[in-house]
Amino acid sequence: MNAKLRLVIGAGAFFLLWLLSATLYTVSEVQQALIVRLGAPIGVVNEPGLKFKLPLIDSVIFYDRRLLTMEPAVEQVILGDQKRIEVQTYTRFRIADPLRFYNAVRTVELAEPQLAQLVSSSLRRELGQVMLPSLLSENRSHIVELVAKEVAEKAKDVGIDVVEVRFHRADLPLETSQAIYDRMTSERQREAKELRAQGFEWAQEIQAKADRERTVILSEAQRQAKITRGAADAEANQILSSTFGKDPQFYRLYRSLQTYRQALANAAPTIVLSPDTEFLRYFKTGPGTLTKH
Amino acid sequence: MSPNSVEDSSSPPRSVEGPSRAAEIRQWLDSYIHLFGLRGKGTALILGLLAIAWVSAGIYKVQPDEQGVVLRFGKWVETTSSGLHYHLPYPIETVLLPKVTQVNQLQLGTARFLAASANTADTSHERQMLTGDENIVEADCAVSWRIKDAGKFLFKVNNPEAALKVVAESALREIISRTPIQAAMSDKRQQVAEQTRDLLQTLLDRADSGILVTQVQLQRVDPPSVVIDAFNDVQRARADQERTRNEAEAYANDIIPRARGEASHIAEESEAYKSQVINLAQGDAKSFQLIYASYAADKDVTAWRLYLESVDEMLKKATRVIIDTSGKGMSGIVPFMHLTDKDKPETVKEPPK
Repeated sequence: MNAKLRLVIGAGAFFLLWLLSATLYTVSEVQQALIVRLGAPIGVVNEPGLKFKLPLIDSVIFYDRRLLTMEPAVEQVILGDQKRIEVQTYTRFRIADPLRFYNAVRTVELAEPQLAQLVSSSLRRELGQVMLPSLLSENRSHIVELVAKEVAEKAKDVGIDVVEVRFHRADLPLETSQAIYDRMTSERQREAKELRAQGFEWAQEIQAKADRERTVILSEAQRQAKITRGAADAEANQILSSTFGKDPQFYRLYRSLQTYRQALANAAPTIVLSPDTEFLRYFKTGPGTLTKH
Repeated sequence: MSPNSVEDSSSPPRSVEGPSRAAEIRQWLDSYIHLFGLRGKGTALILGLLAIAWVSAGIYKVQPDEQGVVLRFGKWVETTSSGLHYHLPYPIETVLLPKVTQVNQLQLGTARFLAASANTADTSHERQMLTGDENIVEADCAVSWRIKDAGKFLFKVNNPEAALKVVAESALREIISRTPIQAAMSDKRQQVAEQTRDLLQTLLDRADSGILVTQVQLQRVDPPSVVIDAFNDVQRARADQERTRNEAEAYANDIIPRARGEASHIAEESEAYKSQVINLAQGDAKSFQLIYASYAADKDVTAWRLYLESVDEMLKKATRVIIDTSGKGMSGIVPFMHLTDKDKPETVKEPPK
């Protein structure tokens, strides 16, 4: 009897525990839950906390409530100007409607490829209309916003709220890199050549200017010197002529005598004289003339 | 629980739990009960002590660099600051203690950079990004961040650190894609870093990440190694340009002062000439005046005396004197120049030894 009672109490306690574990469940802050009654989803639990469900009949599917990031592999896309680029996007989304999500895709693992497909096709459509330069500008964020908007619209149907779609990377493929490198090299060479030539230009300019300045300085000095010398000569002439003008005849005599004494005497070791010269008069005639005179 | 449940991938930083501690206490109590022979009314006592232990397991301490995030059945109910606090014991409430003041470092490009020392084309291609003028650069940057809002950080975003890395790289690439290569490598570096930080913060806030980016530092912005020579040559060309110009300026600085010196030399020389010529003229004039004054006293005699003195002088120096009776000479100035000039001009020009 006593043993039987114990057995009943024990079984009762065990049953109670099982019942508790089968009806109580917690939804954490990062989760949301979908209640599925006999295979048909009947309700969504958004609020975290301690929750109840019917044992056996109800089952609970938990979904992440947080923002999820999906990063599909790099893909090649052709732009409007026929250039190929390698694009990698990332999409941040959250499960907004667990009911729709459950009906459409069931799990995140299954949802991601579908979402990636949406992003990819939308991206190809948008990028097919733009040129590379506009992708490398402020326009870039505008382009991805268009993609994000389109994807968000379509993803709503499967209960996904797409918060943003952005480029992780958008690069030229490896095969075209060499061409870019060559262009970069040639651009740098152009720049280097120009810099050096410009240096030469400056140098020439500076040197020529300096040479000109030197010539100008010297010729100005020479002009001034000539003027000064001329003025000096003029002044000297003026001084001399005003003095000598008092008796030109005596000046001629005096100056001629100076020339005989200095220039002629120094120049001529041999002197040929005509006996008619005035000073040889006595040499020719003797002193007779003096008496005659 | 359903097999379809989504597992929480980020483990809580630290959770304080009750039962293991309670078990220890019970063992410890049991030994005392044996010791004091309290075996009879033991069950009630043990239950009471267990209850006390369970309730007291809710005491927790929040360190100065932490925030306490209290969860009741998984629901976020309270955020506590540093100090000693109490939460309802497990399994009703648990607490997460994220470090909110700690600044974390996120390195973009470094792991790949190390791999690239092997220099496989693939890894270096990974690090490359297009610039605004369709060039390619390799850029690394370091992002410093800390938790701005613990609740958002823990509950709003799945794997926030991985997401941060992706968003940061995307932001850096977007900013670089708007900047010309030359600017990104030199004068706009700071600006690129700041713009990246701002864009990154905007994106993080839009996603409610609860992360504050304190700093973005651009570490290395280089052209790809294949073309780095050409870039270095531009630097060399710039130096060459400067050097050529300096040399030309040195030349100019050398010749112009010299020219000025020469010019003043010429000017001084002409001034000297002027003084000399005038002085000589004045001297000549004065001496003529004096001689004239003496001549005026007795014109005939002085004239003859001067004349004969000159002839003396002339004849004294002459080594030979020929008296030509042909009578071709002119009076006054001696016409012998013609003769010697015709026959042997060299003797005329040479002064006597």
